[in-house]
Amino acid sequence: MKPQTLTGKILRRNVAAPIVTGSEFFRIPVDLVLGHDATIALLIERFKKAGRRIWDPSRCFFAADHFTPPSTPERADILHRYLTFMKEEAVAEDLVYRGISHQLLIEDRRCQPGMVICGADSHTVMAGALGNFACGMGSTDILALLLTGEVILSIPDSIRVDFEGMLPEWLFGKDLALEIIRQLGEGGAVDRCLEYHDRTTGGLPMESRFTIANMAVEAGATNGVFVPDDALRRYLSERDGAAGPLAGFEGAWLLPDDGAEYIQQLRIDVGKLRPLVALPGDLGRIVPAEEAEPRAVQQVFIGSCAGGRLEDLAVVARVLRGRRVAPGVRLVVTPASQAVFHACLRNGIFEVLSAAGAMITNSSCGACGGIDKGLIGAGEVCVSTSNRNFRGRMGSPEGLIYLASPLTAAAAAVTGKVCDPRDVLDDRCLRNFHTDPWPAADRMSGGVA
Amino acid sequence: MKIAGKALIMGDNVNTDVLHPSRFFSLDDRTVRSGFLQAAAGYEQVGGSDLAGRLIVAGENFGCGSSRETGARAFLLAGVRAVVARSLARIFSRNVRNLGLPAVECPSLPTLAPDALVELDLVQGRLYVPAASLDLPLVPLDPFWAKVLEAGGLLPFLGLGDAAGAPKLGASLPVYRGTP
Repeated sequence: MKPQTLTGKILRRNVAAPIVTGSEFFRIPVDLVLGHDATIALLIERFKKAGRRIWDPSRCFFAADHFTPPSTPERADILHRYLTFMKEEAVAEDLVYRGISHQLLIEDRRCQPGMVICGADSHTVMAGALGNFACGMGSTDILALLLTGEVILSIPDSIRVDFEGMLPEWLFGKDLALEIIRQLGEGGAVDRCLEYHDRTTGGLPMESRFTIANMAVEAGATNGVFVPDDALRRYLSERDGAAGPLAGFEGAWLLPDDGAEYIQQLRIDVGKLRPLVALPGDLGRIVPAEEAEPRAVQQVFIGSCAGGRLEDLAVVARVLRGRRVAPGVRLVVTPASQAVFHACLRNGIFEVLSAAGAMITNSSCGACGGIDKGLIGAGEVCVSTSNRNFRGRMGSPEGLIYLASPLTAAAAAVTGKVCDPRDVLDDRCLRNFHTDPWPAADRMSGGVA
Repeated sequence: MKIAGKALIMGDNVNTDVLHPSRFFSLDDRTVRSGFLQAAAGYEQVGGSDLAGRLIVAGENFGCGSSRETGARAFLLAGVRAVVARSLARIFSRNVRNLGLPAVECPSLPTLAPDALVELDLVQGRLYVPAASLDLPLVPLDPFWAKVLEAGGLLPFLGLGDAAGAPKLGASLPVYRGTP
């Protein structure tokens, strides 16, 4: 067999004949299916009509993250139906109210390299940072998957992305994700995989990798996958501890073959990039922050599966330590999971953020999906660490959303305008950030100046 | 089988939040229907207010963004008969086809006049625009998608349920699957 990409290798493991003669689509067995209250609720009625049970409830990774807690009676009803469905189908409830499903997935031992993971949400792709095939789908595809244990997919060609150079302290996974979309365009990876090779000096932090894989779908990709390496090994070793890998995933990791064919290749020297922002409307206009008009900002949102991790909140706290949020700016901080929430409590990060004037919410999708707790009105400008700046995404269609790294967003919170963070910060506040985001000396003390 | 009707012209990279804002996410079809194109000002050129019976004719990467299937369902509820775009976003195109609504790609599609009458021939794999004397090839549907559309959606194709309410294309429709 000819040399294969990582995605080709993962998907072809259990594939036999095409689903119909002459087709490029195959039935592919799925190791794990991600679901949440909103999109699973859409399939319950049709599921019941089919008169069957979930093929394997132990492979259901079901969180509740959209309407949590519910902000309208209808959403309470949707959530209630979902939770009732989980009980009826004997799906484990341990993830409910624990945070955003995608973040919970990468924090959990049930997610292992080499898996085929499908989820009822487009940002399921984030799990690809752990070296697996992870792809988002609509409710009908997920309904069929819950009944059969399989999805019907073609094997996508891969675009190879090589990261090189050394990551500056003021550059983040979000900047790299935006750079890829800037180069490929919003639809530049449709029906393709983005296969990431980290060849940077010192390596990219795992938390940055999650953000990069998360935004593969914003270039249209079927999935994004980081080639497993020592950084992943360290992450999993810390995460899974003595329990180690799941049964069936203990062996050597799947890797792309030498000589695998890529339909396109990008080389990104991370040392040469500047902080980027996506201008409001869509991801078609991505520019260096220093070239963006210094527009006044009314909201800064730190949160979502793309930008609500410990790394993100820690850099915001480093910037805000001893400072106040600019007058007229509301800073909304939504940790991506309860684990992140608790770490921020323990480390004193919340104390710093709160002292600076931030509003901290419970872990959920919240403002990113235009659901609750941080919507914007007509004419308002929001700088957000989330993944979509689409018109109307976070509230009014006349609101304007800029996407940026947590550092660039923090700089906007301090200055009250869209700006290049390097212009407003002294270097000291970021010293050694990528190796030690929140130094032990700051923990518990709160570090409030 | 031909699908003819007035076009609703839309541009490039029209995303799911524009097509169907998340505040219209609901299990109630009336709410879902009412959200169709609610953030689309500036993205579409609608001649008449009646959307029923129309074909969406769009540019590149149509439907990019979210997996929320309420967006695809809104197309059915609004009476849209088919989607033709220069290119389609992956999750969205799966969602509409899974519900039995034809979504096809026509890379050579020029920008048409608002309300242009168009005719989609899924058997021959052509898009006709009589007023502009256009006869354009469609990207051939993979045989899997042809079968899904023939069946009226993914669930009936797999024998797992009824069609979602899209107009049936006909039980034995020979959907075009040649090379363009």
